[in-house]
Amino acid sequence: MRLKIDKLTKSYGDLTVLDKLDLEIKDINSLVLIGPSGGGKTTLLRLLAGLEQPDSGSIIVNDHNLDCTEEELLTYRRDVGMVYQAYNLFPHLDALENIMLPLVHAQQIPKKEAREQALSLLERFNLAEHAFKKPVALSGGQQQRIAICRAVAIKPEILFFDEPTSALDPEYTSEVLDLIEELREDTMELILVTHEMGFAHNAADHVLFISDGGIIAQGPPSELFEQTKNERVKRFFDKVLKYN
Amino acid sequence: MKLNKMFSSLMIEKKGEPVSWFVRLTNILILVLLFYGLFSFGFSRLSYTFRWGSVWKYRNNLIDGFIMTILLSLASLVLSVLLGFLFAIAQKSRILLIRYFSRAYIEVIRGTPLLVQILMFFYVIANAAGLNNRYIAGVLIMSIFASAYIAEIIRAGIDGVGSTQLETARSIGLTKQQTYRHIVFPQVITGVLPPMAGQLASLIKDSSLLSIIAIKEFTMAAREVNANTFSTLESYIPLAIGYLILTLPISYVTKKLERRYFYET
Ligand SMILES: Nc1ncnc2c1ncn2[C@@H]1O[C@H](COP(=O)(O)OP(=O)(O)OP(=O)(O)O)[C@@H](O)[C@H]1O
Ligand SMILES: [Mg+2]
Repeated sequence: MRLKIDKLTKSYGDLTVLDKLDLEIKDINSLVLIGPSGGGKTTLLRLLAGLEQPDSGSIIVNDHNLDCTEEELLTYRRDVGMVYQAYNLFPHLDALENIMLPLVHAQQIPKKEAREQALSLLERFNLAEHAFKKPVALSGGQQQRIAICRAVAIKPEILFFDEPTSALDPEYTSEVLDLIEELREDTMELILVTHEMGFAHNAADHVLFISDGGIIAQGPPSELFEQTKNERVKRFFDKVLKYN
Repeated sequence: MKLNKMFSSLMIEKKGEPVSWFVRLTNILILVLLFYGLFSFGFSRLSYTFRWGSVWKYRNNLIDGFIMTILLSLASLVLSVLLGFLFAIAQKSRILLIRYFSRAYIEVIRGTPLLVQILMFFYVIANAAGLNNRYIAGVLIMSIFASAYIAEIIRAGIDGVGSTQLETARSIGLTKQQTYRHIVFPQVITGVLPPMAGQLASLIKDSSLLSIIAIKEFTMAAREVNANTFSTLESYIPLAIGYLILTLPISYVTKKLERRYFYET
């Protein structure tokens, strides 16, 4: 993927969450955002996913310039996938219908074809037995894996994740991370926010440390995790790794 | 000791055990007897002699009124659901005039007595508009009245679809209209069915007020029978039973719907 961000600024009321953020990266497959709570990770991710408009500055993702109208952003959102912390699935639809919904209504794929694609995807990720279950009847981990299936089903150009495991019971974390890992090995382009440092270390090609309105540090995980000289980043690692 | 045991096995529900038919019937029977005793005591003090014969002659009036009440209520329900939907959506409008108007409409209708609304609408608005058919006027008034409540029920249903779902719909790339059509409305409809059934029961009872503008619905029919026969209780007891025949099944269905919805979400 290729990202080019120029003087990106975003505020909510008086609070400037991102302040003239610059970034240029290319030739990576997976980008991981880490940093303290409230630092602006979600905000940056939502801007990259076309869910928010910046106050100023520009964002270019691959060949998409996100400095555009809401209609063009809608088209962009149809080309990318997003998975949230929790409650991704629509509660009135079963797993299969959840996966079919974007295929049929956003991608304009005929119903029959959409159904086949959705079923084969569930098959591939060993979720076929849950196809006709409503979200209430599924565990948190199963729900999250189906949400990932739904995002993958549209063959997204990039897949965004915002802390996909942090609302799950610990026992379900690994099944979700395994699925993401499988996608990564399939060379799917990923941008994810996570607090799972072990996973970030393994899965990231490039890591951004976001705090105080900007990128405090960045680099390949081996560099950032093991040899950072930045005090702010070191303190953060000491804190989050304390009980791991 | 023995009596004590018998009492508790007949009268008290044991946790986690289904109540047997025998015990249920016994308790219902006791209640019926109690009420029977209460009423017959009351009537014996009144020294009232029932003369069902005179009322029986007017049974067709009562039946016609009963049917009219059903028709009025159903027509009002259909219209009020349509109006309710409109006002629920109007409250989300970005055009301020529309939003304020629907807010004011709902507050005024819910904050004033139905009796006043009926009189105002019939003698002022309908009169000015040249609407002479009192049955149409009656349906309109009841629809306007009920729609304010239904609008609130629907609005609560729409708000009940959480912001995370709306965000998810946006991220998938659904348009606003698609989000309403495929995500919000299907959930609103299952969610509002139980309160909507309750609203129908209220409509049935409230429509009795239409008798003040001389609409020959159920209550009006009973009043006429009473005026003709001077048999007050014989006229009004069938009225009470008639309303129960309509409202009890609705309340039963409402409970069923509530339970189903509860298990589904
Ligand atoms: N829609 C919004 N309206 C107002 N303030 C917001 C909004 N979204 C985010 N914020 C604020 O912006 C700041 C950054 O939020 P953001 O969600 O991007 O942080 P984060 O790094 O994702 O944190 P966390 O790890 O807790 O998820 C926070 O102080 C938050 O309260
Ligand atoms: Mg966040």
